[in-house]
Amino acid sequence: MYVLGVETSCDETSVSIVKDGSMVLANEVLSQIDIHKDYGGVVPEIASREHVKGITYVFDQAMKKAGIKYQDLGLIAVTKGPGLIGSLLIGVNAAKVISLNYDIPIVGVHHIAGHIYANHIEHPMEFPLLALVVSGGHTELVLMKEHYSFEKLGETQDDAVGEAYDKIARVLGLAYPGGPIVDKLAHEGKDVFDFPRPMIDSDDFNFSFSGLKSKVINTHHNLKQRQLEIIPEDFCASFQEAVTDVLVSKTIKAKTIYKVKQIIVAGGVAANSGLRTKLKNKITDVPVYFPRMNYCTDNAAMIAVAGYFQYLTNKKTDDLMLNGHSRLNLEG
Amino acid sequence: MKKSLKQLIIDTATDYIYLALVVDGVEKQSIYEKGINNHSVTIIPFLKEILDLENFKLQDIDEIIVGIGPGSYTGVRIGVTVAKMISYLNNINLYKVSSLALLASYSQEPYVLALIDARRGNAFMGFYSNVDKKLLNIKDDVLENIEDFKGKIDLKYQEVRFGKPKISKLLSSELFEKVDDVHNLVPNYLQKTEAERNKNNGINLKTNI
Ligand SMILES: [Zn+2]
Repeated sequence: MYVLGVETSCDETSVSIVKDGSMVLANEVLSQIDIHKDYGGVVPEIASREHVKGITYVFDQAMKKAGIKYQDLGLIAVTKGPGLIGSLLIGVNAAKVISLNYDIPIVGVHHIAGHIYANHIEHPMEFPLLALVVSGGHTELVLMKEHYSFEKLGETQDDAVGEAYDKIARVLGLAYPGGPIVDKLAHEGKDVFDFPRPMIDSDDFNFSFSGLKSKVINTHHNLKQRQLEIIPEDFCASFQEAVTDVLVSKTIKAKTIYKVKQIIVAGGVAANSGLRTKLKNKITDVPVYFPRMNYCTDNAAMIAVAGYFQYLTNKKTDDLMLNGHSRLNLEG
Repeated sequence: MKKSLKQLIIDTATDYIYLALVVDGVEKQSIYEKGINNHSVTIIPFLKEILDLENFKLQDIDEIIVGIGPGSYTGVRIGVTVAKMISYLNNINLYKVSSLALLASYSQEPYVLALIDARRGNAFMGFYSNVDKKLLNIKDDVLENIEDFKGKIDLKYQEVRFGKPKISKLLSSELFEKVDDVHNLVPNYLQKTEAERNKNNGINLKTNI
């Protein structure tokens, strides 16, 4: 079955065609990153305007690359949330037009389900599995006992991990988006500050990063006031060590308790090399999978894959009243 | 039998959603309904409803006319997105029209001030004449202080903030324009986003931590 994926929840306009839940025929992404860079973050109104501008072009490119006709599609899968509402609605409505025009069933997909299913493109899921979801908007541990069943074990109580990365980058005066730069600099520095590892010993699966973030910022501020040398590399290394220690430690705890067969990492921060290395080194009894780099960031292929399994599992489609939602529960 | 011309008109730039199906210049079906922040939910079901009533498929449509604002609310983007998609999928002509011209077509008076509220005393406004049943734009659509704009007009006019468009009047006017490059069509926002304006004015948006 050919599934058309549509993703416009933030600042990427993406359309993809995936065959039978894992074979990606096309995954076109029109990124706005260069536009939002000047503002140090995504500006919702600009994002929405850019989606309208690029939407039909991206569909056209994806269909040409896939070499199929719209009539060949068996299902349309579109991100319905969570995300920026003005952005989500562009993809949702474009997808609904295709559904009406060709009488193709449509399903609205949870964005995080998409990130989790990005792994399935290269590594078929084996259950029970544990998904560590880490992005600019999310930090959570999700248990899956079968396809399309999500049980949230814990989540961040304040900042998402990607958000903390971006703020640290800003304090250090690094360019946007800061996460990848912090990751790069971390390799050239040393963990000299020994920042706190928040909630590392708590007996739940929740996270907290705002205290750590403040500690990093205060330390930076102090050095600056005392006119001492600031080595960004050491800040990055110390911050990254603290963050990844917490993420890896909670992941291992969940792995042991729930006896999972597989660990998958999802979301933009899954691209972080420090996290990748530490997880791989510390977990050797079950496989740890990461999506390929281009499936870590927002893309429509992951939505097509998730939509395919949502459809197979729930045997339900949405009607033409389908709408976008800025907030949306994964377990819903 | 000569093939009939089936036109679809879409406008979602105001609090009202407007859809019309016109066959050979005659309005066969139309919907004009208030739905604040709701056009995203209703547009496709409404579209299906009017198509079904005429026993048409979406693929039967020959031409689309879409209201492109002015405006900067999410609403206008919904209609433009839907119109672009239909035009692209079926490779049919797309025409754009001012949503204020559509509003103005509602009026019977010789002079019309069409107005879409933009808060804080401002509005998107256009001034139209309706003499001899011929709709003409005599003052370009602008985003301005309402009182300032009105102060510059010395004709007697009707102010229209909502009202179902009289599509025949619009179709006989020269107020709509063919879109040559459908992929690049965007709404007529009339102003840059607040973030862009602040940036141009040198205001740093970065939040201080
Ligand atoms: Zn994402």
